[in-house]
Amino acid sequence: MTKEELITKLKTIVQPYIQDEEAFKNLSENTDFINDLKINSANLVDVILDVEDEFDIRIENDDMEKMTSVKAAMDIVNEKLAAT
Amino acid sequence: MIGNDIVDLKQARIDSNWKRKGFLEKIFTQNEQVLIFSSANQHQTVWLLWSMKEAAYKIYMRQFGNRFFNPTRLECNIETKTKGHVVIGDNTFDTISQIDKNYIHTIASKRREKGVKSSCFKIENTSIKLQSELSKKRVLETYSKIRNIPKNSVAIQKDAIGIPYFFQNNKKQKESLSIAHHGHYCAYVIL
Repeated sequence: MTKEELITKLKTIVQPYIQDEEAFKNLSENTDFINDLKINSANLVDVILDVEDEFDIRIENDDMEKMTSVKAAMDIVNEKLAAT
Repeated sequence: MIGNDIVDLKQARIDSNWKRKGFLEKIFTQNEQVLIFSSANQHQTVWLLWSMKEAAYKIYMRQFGNRFFNPTRLECNIETKTKGHVVIGDNTFDTISQIDKNYIHTIASKRREKGVKSSCFKIENTSIKLQSELSKKRVLETYSKIRNIPKNSVAIQKDAIGIPYFFQNNKKQKESLSIAHHGHYCAYVIL
C-alpha cells in the first residue's frame, strides 16, 4: 500500500468523528487527531477500533499510547502489517 | 494544579457506543470493568469513570508535559458516591464529581484543594468554536471578579500542548484553570 492510499483510508476512518471541517479538508501526515481534527477522546477509541477492523490488525494499549496523529497511526499500521 | 472534565450524558449516547466490542477493554482496567458491570446504572458509571480519568489526565499532562493516549494506565478508585482518586504510575489525584441526571462534572486536584471556584452551565448551541468563546468569556468575567481587576486587562492563552493560562497585561498569572465542554454543557474550574 502506498503512503497516499494509507492516508486516504485513514481519512475515511476518521471522517465520522471529526469536529473541525477545515482541518479535515487539509488533512496531512502532520494532522493531530485531537488538537487539529477536534476528535473527542472517547471517539479516538472508535478510530483505533476502526483501524483494527479495516487493516485486520490488533493494536495493544501500549501501541495505542502514541496514536494521536495521522503520522503515528500510519507508523503503527505499517509496523503491524509488516509483522503479519 | 487542577483539571476537570464534563460529560453530557445524552450526547454520550449519541457519540459513543460503549457496548461496542473491544471499546471498554481499551479504556478500563479489569477492576473498573467489574465496577461498571456490577453497578445499577452502567451508562452513568462508564462516564463517571471516564470523566475521572480525563480530569486527572489533564493535571498529569500539566505536571509532566507529555501527552499519551492509554486510558488503562489510569486507574480509578471510588471512595464514596461522588469522591474518588485516580492513580497514574506514582501519582495520585483526588477527584470529586457532580452527578446530575443530564451530566457528570469531575474536578481532579493534586490534594483535596480548598478555594476551588467552579461553574457548570448549559449552552443550547453545540458548535465547539462558539462554546469555547462563550466559556472563555465567562471564565474571564469570574476571574476578573475574584482578582478585582478590570475585565479588559485579562486574557486566556493556551501553550503548545493546549494548556490554558491566565494573562494580565500580557503577563502570565499563577492561578491554574481548566475548561471542558461536551454536548450542551460547559464547565470550568479556577484554583
